[in-house]
Amino acid sequence: MSRHARVAVAAAILALLSACATAPRKDYSKFVAAQPRAILIVPVVNKSVNVDAADYFLSTLPIPVAERGYYVFPVNLVKRLLEDDGLADAALVHGADPGRLCALFGADAVLYVSIEKWEAKYLVVTTQVNVEFEYVLKDGKTGETLWTDHEAMAYQPDSNGGGIIGAMVAAAVTKASPNYMPLARQANWKALSFPGPGFPAGPYRPEYGKDLVADTRL
Amino acid sequence: MNRTTLLLSSVALLAVLQGCARHQTMYAWGDYDEALYVHYKNPQERERFVASLDAVIRDATQRGEKVPPGCLAEYGWALMEEGRHDDAIAYFQRERDQWPESRVLMDKMIRNAQQKRATNPSTPAKGPAGALKRS
Repeated sequence: MSRHARVAVAAAILALLSACATAPRKDYSKFVAAQPRAILIVPVVNKSVNVDAADYFLSTLPIPVAERGYYVFPVNLVKRLLEDDGLADAALVHGADPGRLCALFGADAVLYVSIEKWEAKYLVVTTQVNVEFEYVLKDGKTGETLWTDHEAMAYQPDSNGGGIIGAMVAAAVTKASPNYMPLARQANWKALSFPGPGFPAGPYRPEYGKDLVADTRL
Repeated sequence: MNRTTLLLSSVALLAVLQGCARHQTMYAWGDYDEALYVHYKNPQERERFVASLDAVIRDATQRGEKVPPGCLAEYGWALMEEGRHDDAIAYFQRERDQWPESRVLMDKMIRNAQQKRATNPSTPAKGPAGALKRS
């Protein structure tokens, strides 16, 4: 499947999910008042025991944010520059003053993401993958929190396919290297979708400034 | 429905899906995120990440579309790591021209590249970005 098709499938699933969702609408007044255009995604804080998860997860963040219509700073370059400045520890970056961070890069807002869970549960004939993330967007001028979201997702490979033997083979494969990435990507698209829990359209989307009014789920 | 009709309709459906898909994302990202993931997974795969950035930039430029945010800057950084300061500056300038929001950072990067060029004009390639200390 091509990349576009993959994204389309993810988007379609999302559309369905958000259509069913009855979550109460968030208060977007601070977000709208701040009018962020340029979003700085800083390295991810990892609260899971999987040491590599932070970098892996960082790679999934820029596309969904940019696709919401915002300028996103190059995440790898930002990470390297922070490391050069002695801020290799993501927790230090998350603890730093958002105003100073934004001034350093010329950003309007900072997106802080933490991994709460990134684990595989090994059941008898299958492996269940669990991810859980916390997202916080802070304003570069006031330091105020503009938006937050929390996503938890689980995936258990379908064990009906090849009967019990097929399931055991699948479990052996995922046991060797459980694949977290599709689940992580899906969590991001869900977190950022709008209408939904996510960002209203940014300045690079045609519906910028109109979608909040159109969203009548009140 | 016979076999041929079924086949034809699935091909048609696929074509429609692909057609829609082209408009689902604003930018053509290629395999940017996948390549970055692979690079973080295995630092030896830096070349693949750099090649992916190059492909995204060429693709967008050829079609007269905007290069997705950040890609020109990441590519410039890769060139800077290889000691190609003049080329790096050109890409930082392109990022700045396409995305005015990047001005503060790109001005800084251009100054950095100019300083490096001045102090050490013939810096040999610094090696894969991933070879740098990972935390």
